[in-house]
Amino acid sequence: MPVFADRDQLYRVLGAFFETLPDGPHGPLIHRVGGPILFVFHRPEARILWEPLAGGPPEFAVHYDTEQPEPLLRFEQDADLAHRFWQGDLDLQDALARQQIRARGPLARAMKLIPQLDPVYGAYRAFLQADGAAPA
Amino acid sequence: MVGLRHARAVVLREYGEPVCIERLSLLPPGPGEVLVRIAASGVCHTDLHVATGDLPLPLPMVLGHEGAGVVEAVGEGVTTPAVGQRVVVSWMPSCGECFWCRGGRPDLCERAAHAAARGILPGGGTRWRDAGGEPVHQFSAAGTMAEAAVVPAACALPLPGDMPATSAALLGCSVLTGTGAALRTGRVQPGERVAVFGAGGVGLQAIQGARIAGASQIIAIDRLPERRDLAMRLGATDVVDPLDADPVVAVVDLTEGRGADCTIEAVGTPETIAAAFNAARRGGRSVVVGVCPPEVDVAINAFALPSQGKTLTGCWYGESDPARDLPQLVEHYRAGRLLLDELVTRRFPLEEAQAAFAAMMAGQVARAILVP
Repeated sequence: MPVFADRDQLYRVLGAFFETLPDGPHGPLIHRVGGPILFVFHRPEARILWEPLAGGPPEFAVHYDTEQPEPLLRFEQDADLAHRFWQGDLDLQDALARQQIRARGPLARAMKLIPQLDPVYGAYRAFLQADGAAPA
Repeated sequence: MVGLRHARAVVLREYGEPVCIERLSLLPPGPGEVLVRIAASGVCHTDLHVATGDLPLPLPMVLGHEGAGVVEAVGEGVTTPAVGQRVVVSWMPSCGECFWCRGGRPDLCERAAHAAARGILPGGGTRWRDAGGEPVHQFSAAGTMAEAAVVPAACALPLPGDMPATSAALLGCSVLTGTGAALRTGRVQPGERVAVFGAGGVGLQAIQGARIAGASQIIAIDRLPERRDLAMRLGATDVVDPLDADPVVAVVDLTEGRGADCTIEAVGTPETIAAAFNAARRGGRSVVVGVCPPEVDVAINAFALPSQGKTLTGCWYGESDPARDLPQLVEHYRAGRLLLDELVTRRFPLEEAQAAFAAMMAGQVARAILVP
């Protein structure tokens, strides 16, 4: 049984969490990646785009179901795995090697963020503990 | 003196068209060949690959490449098997003389591959003739979907008298291939964790091979609930529905986050081949036994090759030497370690070969058997 029952729930949980990032301490780091980042999810099918904004904060906008023809970076993954990743429970290098996450674009720019994501993982775990946020 | 014989056979005339039943002439066996009266022939996905053109071979062709029967006549120079001997028909007429045969890999025999690709016997040509007198090819020097077949004597392997022909027929391909993928190519060791992608005819035998090898955990991945149930009966300890969960994630989760020591792919799609590779642990082995059409490529992560140190390999016939391995498999059967009778869930007459293919495609049978 997938963690997120449907696309709406994914957006209510992971999407809502993403919307906390542009105004937070990690917003500038994400902005410095230098271009739009598209997340394509399966099980359920969903798409979330981070689009950098000038003059932030907020540092970027979160769009849903958008068709971004050429994002700078594209990450495609099972939604269950994304849920694990943002809790800090996934080795990204291993997941890439196993093709659990398929990345397109200059991955090195995103990899620079990885060592600084620990607080974000903690924030997502805390977010899940908030009333009504955690998926079944 | 053996004369001309006639026999009904399942003939493929056009790729993508239904097979037809034809009454063909069968020339007497040549030197080193035997005439086998077929009692049972397995229906395999590989036959279907030929029928659809995914495995393009010369047409017209008598299908079938695993069977069992009785030797009816022998050609010049044949001392074994003898007339009246029950036999299993294998589809690997290895020559025993080429580089690969001398190196202990008869499954890679050059002459056998040459004959198989041309739909002829290693001795040259085919013994089948249609109503117009034209040659009809035979699949992999076997062509067992018929009332009789002329095959190389080396491909007619003696069979004990107490084994049902319908079960014995499976030994000719799916059992040798599937168990071989686990026991020889995969080299499954006692206590290891194994994941088998696809619980069809070959995948189920890979599960049995892993069980015989002493695997402590066998994870079967298949989209059909009936096959998952059968996999559990044959030795799987866990099953995964790939429609319900990412099978790579599921296998990694079921193996304490490492991945399986050995994965065996028995479906034959680029997606399942990549998934099987991805589900193996670092330093593990991944064996591809499923057959893709020749033009298909597989994409795997390049970084995984150095960083995960896995072995990705494959096998065509489970690295089998039928003459060496068949007696051992019969012993496993007699001892109750190799379950075959349970797999013969439906028998079809030759006339219903097309229905047998449909039943196999729909997952309605563990193994369909044609009984002439």
